[in-house]
Order: sequence, then structure tokens, then C-alpha cells
Amino acid sequence: MKKVLLVCSLIILGTTLSFGQAKKPTLMVVPSDAWCIKNGYVMEFDNDGTVTKIPDYKKAMQENTDILLVISSINDMMAERGFPLKNLESAMKTLSSNAAEDNMRSSKESGAEVNESPIDALKKVAKADIIIQLTWTVNTTGPKKSITFILQGLDAYTDKQIAGANGTGAPSFSAEVPVLLKEAVTAHIDNFSASLQSHFDDMFANGREVIIRIQTWDSWDGDLESEDYGDDELGILIEDWMAANTVKGRFSTTDMTESMALFEQVRIPLFDEKGRAQDARRFASGLRKWLKEDPRLIESKLVMKGLGRATLILGEK
Amino acid sequence: MKTMINKVSVLTVLFLAFSFVATAQISKQKKANDDTEEWKYEIECVGIGKPGTKVIKVWSYSKNAKVATGQAKKNAVHGIIFQGYAGGGQGCTSQKPLANSPALEQEKAEFFKDFFADGGKYMKFVSTSGDAAPEVIGVKLKKYKYKVGVVVVVMSDNLRKDLEAAGIVRGLSSGF
Repeated sequence: MKKVLLVCSLIILGTTLSFGQAKKPTLMVVPSDAWCIKNGYVMEFDNDGTVTKIPDYKKAMQENTDILLVISSINDMMAERGFPLKNLESAMKTLSSNAAEDNMRSSKESGAEVNESPIDALKKVAKADIIIQLTWTVNTTGPKKSITFILQGLDAYTDKQIAGANGTGAPSFSAEVPVLLKEAVTAHIDNFSASLQSHFDDMFANGREVIIRIQTWDSWDGDLESEDYGDDELGILIEDWMAANTVKGRFSTTDMTESMALFEQVRIPLFDEKGRAQDARRFASGLRKWLKEDPRLIESKLVMKGLGRATLILGEK
Repeated sequence: MKTMINKVSVLTVLFLAFSFVATAQISKQKKANDDTEEWKYEIECVGIGKPGTKVIKVWSYSKNAKVATGQAKKNAVHGIIFQGYAGGGQGCTSQKPLANSPALEQEKAEFFKDFFADGGKYMKFVSTSGDAAPEVIGVKLKKYKYKVGVVVVVMSDNLRKDLEAAGIVRGLSSGF
């Protein structure tokens, strides 16, 4: 009897441990465009006559030791809080080594190469669910120097700033810039992690905020204004499904035309009905299955972007 | 016999005097503890310390400057957990309290009763800074004679980790 009880307890414990954890977002510290442009770490290209500047992170990492110090300090302090961050420099190196390996790889039997669609190639960039955007400026007044430091936690999918800390440190006659930078990180990291904590608390209470897009293939003969799929237009039926499946029915229909719909501020439960951690893709997969059911019978392709953005393209896979 | 009576009388007087002093001391300490719970202290930042620490000046009130000085460490830890502080000079930025909820002190009253007991666990996370002597200012306030400012260093990272481990506050990775 004792053995049975022990086995049951272990099973319950295992189930709780495996299903009780929400999907953990990844974070990465990235220098802001403003900092990169100000310090000359940019690549310029001609975009139909307009000169466009984009940040050159690789150059910044290779030439500026201050940025390494700041990123390393933030990474250390966040790891110490039980939330290790992705390292931008390592992520870029992994991307290039993966690309080199993929180019060289071929199968043993037929010599086939690894599949890569243009979209796959486009997606091969250093990315994280939350970008910690970093900016600082060195202010000089006579012999005195001070640092204005800005940390912004940006949700990569909703584009919202979910955490932040900023301020100007005490002016100093003698301290070197790296010392002032280290001091700035120490001064601001607690407030930054406190605001990040508030964001996570809100997420656990009200669900993960995601974006769901609906698009249509031009080969599809239906549209979102069609009433052939139920007692109302398809767009309205999809809105009803969203209302029924989001936390407290929270979502905003930002755009709805006959060929596309955009739902923002969609609050999805962190766990599905089976207790498994859920992200935007799993949530949208529920909508995909519902669309496929009788009487709608609409086939669709599900495309994901990280934890917080999913797109359904109606008509075919 | 007379000598014996004199000896007993002297001992009795000494015992009563000792009891009176001890009771007064306990009473002052109890009052200081009540003041901590009633937020009768002020915290100001005096600089950016080493990573994981907070260097703050705590102003405590008492009729007895020594009691106020002794209470500074408890007030400092109490303030870091429940109050936070505003920014100031020396590059200080405002700091939010470690407590996620304003009602945390009431919700976890049992834990904090032990934590802030005299000589309790809070002592592990605070030390006085050797750089400055306590600043004693006479005040004309009902029930208080002195306002004493003491610079202390709170090991805020260790304090936060301890509270997270005890399930009192949520950590960044809680739930993931």
C-alpha cells in the first residue's frame, strides 16, 4: 500500500513539475540604434535613393570594450537573479557558425543539402523575446564627467516597453568612464528588474500578451466577410472564438478587412486545457483546428515568431 | 541582627534599581520596535555601494540616542523590504521596496515577527559603515528627544535571495 502511495505521489509531483512552468521568455541586451549611430557602429546602404543606417553590432562588439563591460555586468546581475540572458556576441557567433555548417552539410546517401526557404534565411538573426535596449551618453562639464544611462525592456512582439530604468549619475572629476558605467549599471539594475518583475506578475495574473494575425492566400476562394461558414461573417466568428478563448475575453481587433485581420493585446492563458505551457503558436493552433472543423472546413498555414506572435494564412498549408 | 537587616535592605534597593533600569531599557527597546513597525524612521541614499549592496543613512527617533543608534540596522532592513527610498545626490537613484505587495507585512506577519525579533535574522543582512559616526540631533517632539542618523550597508541581494527562498517575495524566475 505504501509503495502504491509513493508511486502515486511521484507521478503527481512529476506531472506538476512538468506542466507547472510557463514558457520562459529569452532576454538579450542590445545597444540602441541611437548609441550605435552616435558612436559610428553603423552600416549604410542606399534604399531607393534614401541612405539608410542600420546598427553594426559585430563592429561594436569587436571595437568597443565599454559595451562589453556594460553587457557583461548586466548579464552577471540578471544571472544572479536567476534569469540568465542571451549574450548578443555569442548569439551572432552561433548564427555564423551554424550558417557555415549548414552550407557544408550534405546527406551521406544522396548528397542532399539542408532545406532553407527564403523565409528561413530571413529569420536567421540574433533574437530574443525581450530586448533590453541599452543607451548611455557621457556628459562633460569642464573637468567633470557623468553618465546618463537608459535601459529599456522591449517586448519583441507587441513592441511595448515593459520595463525600464534611467537616470544620470553623480558627476566625477577623477573616475574613468568604465567605472562610471559600472556604477550606473549597479544603480539601475534593481529598478529595472523590479519593473520586469511587475510585467511577469501581470503576465501570470492576466495571461501572456501576444499578437495574432490572420491573412489569406490569393489562391483561396473565400474571404473574411463571407457568411458561408456560420451564422455570421467569418471575421466575426473568429472574433467570437477569440473572446471565448482569451483570458477574460481580452483582445483588441486592430484591423479587419476581407483579406486580413490583426488582433493585438490578446491575452492568452499561460497553460492549455491539458496543463501544458502555451505560447502564441499553440494558441493559434487552437484557432487553426477550429477553422478546420465542420462546417467551416478551412485549411490554414500557421507561422510563428517567437513566443508572442503567430500568423494564420487561410486557404491552404 | 541590625547588620543583617541593613544588608538585606541594601540588596533589596539594588535589586529594585536594577529591575527598574532593566524594565526601562526593555520598554525603550519595545517602543523602538513599535516605531519600526509604524514607519517612524527615514531613509536616505548616501551613495552607490558595491554591486548587491545599498549604502543608506537611517534616521531613527528615540528618547535615548543609544537605543535609536541600535535600532538603525533594523530600520534599514525594514525600509529596504517595505519602503524603498527616493533618489538623491551622489548618483543615487530611487529604489523600489523588495516587497511586491503593499500588504505583504500583514500577509506574512508571522515570518516578519521572527525575522525582525531582537537579534533576529535581519542582522545577517546589514552592517554599520565604519566611515561615519552616528549623527545625533536633538528634536522637540512628543515622546522623542533625539533623531539619530546612522550610515549602514544593507546586503540587498542576499536579503532578496533569502526572502525569495522563504517564499516571501517572488523572484524573476518564479513560475518559469
